[in-house]
This record gives sequence, structure tokens and C-alpha cells, in this order.
Amino acid sequence: MNNPQPAVVIQAEEQRAQAEALFNSIGEGAIATDEFGRITRINPIALELLGYREADLLGEWFPKKIVALNEQDVAINLIDRPITKAFLTGRSVTEKIFYRKKNGQHLPVQLTISPILLDDRPIGAIEVFRDITIEEEIDRMKSEFISLASHQLRTPLSAIKTYSHMLVDGYMGDVTPAQKKSLRTIIGATNRMNELISTLLNITRIESGTIVINPRMLRVDRAAEEVIKELCLAASEKTIDLSMAVSGKLATSVKTDNLILKEIITNLVSNAIKYTNDGGTVSITIRGRTKDVLITVADNGWGIPRDAHDQVFSKFFRAQNTVKRETTGTGLGLYLVKGLLDRLGGTIWFDSAEGQGTNFYFTLPKTKRPVRNLDT
Amino acid sequence: MVEFKYNNKEHLVANILIVEDDKDLNNAYSIILNSQDHTVESAFDGQEALDKLNNFKPDLILLDLLMPIMGGLEFLQHFDLKAHPAVKVLIFTNMENSPEVAESYKLGAHRCIIKSWTAPHNLSRVINEALDSKPIPTAA
Repeated sequence: MNNPQPAVVIQAEEQRAQAEALFNSIGEGAIATDEFGRITRINPIALELLGYREADLLGEWFPKKIVALNEQDVAINLIDRPITKAFLTGRSVTEKIFYRKKNGQHLPVQLTISPILLDDRPIGAIEVFRDITIEEEIDRMKSEFISLASHQLRTPLSAIKTYSHMLVDGYMGDVTPAQKKSLRTIIGATNRMNELISTLLNITRIESGTIVINPRMLRVDRAAEEVIKELCLAASEKTIDLSMAVSGKLATSVKTDNLILKEIITNLVSNAIKYTNDGGTVSITIRGRTKDVLITVADNGWGIPRDAHDQVFSKFFRAQNTVKRETTGTGLGLYLVKGLLDRLGGTIWFDSAEGQGTNFYFTLPKTKRPVRNLDT
Repeated sequence: MVEFKYNNKEHLVANILIVEDDKDLNNAYSIILNSQDHTVESAFDGQEALDKLNNFKPDLILLDLLMPIMGGLEFLQHFDLKAHPAVKVLIFTNMENSPEVAESYKLGAHRCIIKSWTAPHNLSRVINEALDSKPIPTAA
């Protein structure tokens, strides 16, 4: 004779079945582990995406059984795995990585893994992930399109600029002062168009992670000098005193990308010139420190209102006091600077008050032991 | 060792091959470089440039990257700068910070210049610097 099961057991089994059904119904890949990272559950979508059978994975140690790779196809160390970070921090972690499928193929995924906490103690983790192959492909195509479109836009611009310069320089015969002035206006407009294309191109590359960095040892003050040479004309047109100084005795050498560094300094200095009244001052100070180089771009211009401080590095943001007085900005410059500095391993911050000018500070990390500059 | 000649405008005088598919730009660079007494040949794609090299021995090649028939990178793979250490290649492109530019450096390009940023006097300066950067055979 069968013994009837107690009601409490039936209820528990029903709850377990419900939880199982709930887990299996998640519309994306889902993996649950115990507090040691051993797989306790995996839903059918996860099995399909990774190409495994349930029996292959249950009870296995997640970080070992399912290899995670970074964008360079290198296996991610245990300490850097999202599951480790989730356990160590007690917080959800969201990342884009690649999983190696059972057949060896790499699957790009966007995942969120959260620790399951009981009385503040992790008793397991649950990860939800989805295949982002199509998004990655669209992103790649978007980057390629913008890259190609930028190139195509620049080709006629190059001809306009080159021939305008040739006319100004007298390659085609004498031109009157009035004609020269008009030609310089054309050159100025092509330069602005160029800047816009560069900014869009760089932002696309940062956002898609395809920006190319060519690091080499260089002196930050030399890069800044080159930027000043290019911008001194713009400063003199507003009778702005543009100056540069190197302070301290430690070297200003860092291993970084010269073009990107110059792009950062150019953006900050041209902003300072743009948002400072005629007759003002803009100064760059470069200070070599033990572990990094600190660059300060200071102006006594319009400043940034207090209520805009939180949004200064946001895309398309322009403070109200600049929108009213200067219409040519895009709101992309500081967003770009922040993105570029992130890629170079640097940091940026500022202090400013409306009507009292702005100091932007950024650092670039040193990769070698600092040495004294002989000529400073 | 024979050094470069200077013309009366303080420019080094050299044999320069322009490889640029845009006819307007190719023509503009020819005018500028001819005015500085360089001996200039023009090609409009990488294949034409390789053909020209049978009869023209450049000290410097101004090379675009994106061109029909044969692009700049493929040209560099065929030309092999290691076999021609005296020849300087300046990449003249609008593909700023691109993987193609990084690849051109691996193939031995001396420097990359962004076309749409470069005024004629800057082009002359960069060419002078490139020619002056190490001894190379005499110019025509």
C-alpha cells in the first residue's frame, strides 16, 4: 500500500517544479550556480546557444567548463570573470564577452550575473545571457559605413582646401587682398568641417571599440607645443594670451598615442579659446609626477554653471550660458575627450564657476620609472 | 655619399612619385612639387605606380591608400620597402587613425599625413623632413 505524501512535501515539490518551469521559460540563456560556482541549473536556450547537453554541464565548475574570452580572443582570467566579480562585490555585473561553445566556435554574448544573497552571504549566482552576434555585426557595419562616409566626405574637402591654399599662395597668379580674405574664409570653413568629421569618426570608433592606439614614448610638453602652434592664430584673433609652462622636475614622458593626445589637448584648448572673451588668458601647465603626468588647461572665460557640472562629459551636452553666446559647438568635444582618455588609461576632472573661468585637469599614466628632464 | 641638392627656395630636390586616384588632388600636388623643382611623376593607382617604377626611380612616394585597381597597402606589399631602404613613403590619406594606417607603418611607411588637414606649405615641410631624415641617393 502506498503511503500518501505529506502535504508539506507536495507543496515543496510543486514550488520546485514551478521554479524549474520559471527558470526554463526565461527567454534568454540562463545558468545558475551554487556558492562555489558549480552549475546547478541551465535552461534550454543556454544549452542551445552553447551547444552542450544538460548532462555535460550540471555539477561542473562554471569558470572551467565554459571558457570566456575577451575581444582579443584571449581567455579571461578567473579573477576577471564576471562570476568572480559578482561574488567578490556582491553586486550584479553586466559585460560583453565571448563564450567558447562546445564545438570550439566563439559566441559573443551580453550577460548579467547576479549573486544570490541570503543574509548578505552569497549562496549562488544566476547569469542571464543573450547572443549578440547580429548586434555586433550591425555595429561593425555601422562603423565601416561611417568610416567610409567620412573618407568620402573628406576627399572633396581636401581638393577645396588644397586649391584654396594654392590660390592664396599665388600658385595660380596674383590675388587681391579681398580675394585672399574670401579664400581664407573658405579654408576656415573646410577646417571646421574637417573637425566635425574627425569628431564623429573618433566617437564612432570609441563607441565600437575599434579606435587604433599606437603608443610610443613621447614628451607631453612637446605634443602641447605642437597644438599651441596650430591654435595660436585662433587665440590671436581674439587677442587671447595663450601660454604653456612645464612645472616640476620630473619627466613629462609617457608611453601613449601622439595623435590622440594632441586631439585631447586640441579639444580642451580650442574650447578654452572659444569660451573665453577677447583679451582673456588660456594657459597649459604640464607637470611630471611620480606615476603620471598632470596637464592643466586653465582659462578665465565664461565658466560652467554649477547645475551643468554633472553633464559636462555627456554626449551632445552644451551648457546654457554657451548655447546663448556661441552657436557653433556640437556638444561632442568633451564627450570625445573623456572617451579618448579612457582608452589611454587617463582621468579627467575640472573645477569651474560661471563667470570665473575653468580649469580642466587630466592625467596620463607613466609606464616607466620617471627620470629627470635634463632641459627643464 | 652624395647629398641632396637644395634649390634656391631652401627645398631639397628629389624624384617624387605621386600615387593618388583623385585627379584634382594629383594635379594639385604635381603643380606644388614641380614649383619646388622636384622631378614629379604621377600614377592614379597602385598598379600604375608599380609600372612607373620600371623607368622612374623615386626618392619619395606620396601614396594614397584607398584607390581602385590596386590600393596603397597592396602596392606596399608588392613594392617591398625593405628591398628599397632608400625610398621614403609618405602615406597621404583621409583615413585618420585607421587600421589601414597602422598596417602601412608595419609595411615600412615613413609617416602618415591626413590630406584634408594638410596645407601645401605643410606638405612641402613634411616632404623636406622625410627626405632629410637619412641619407638617400642623389636627386635628379
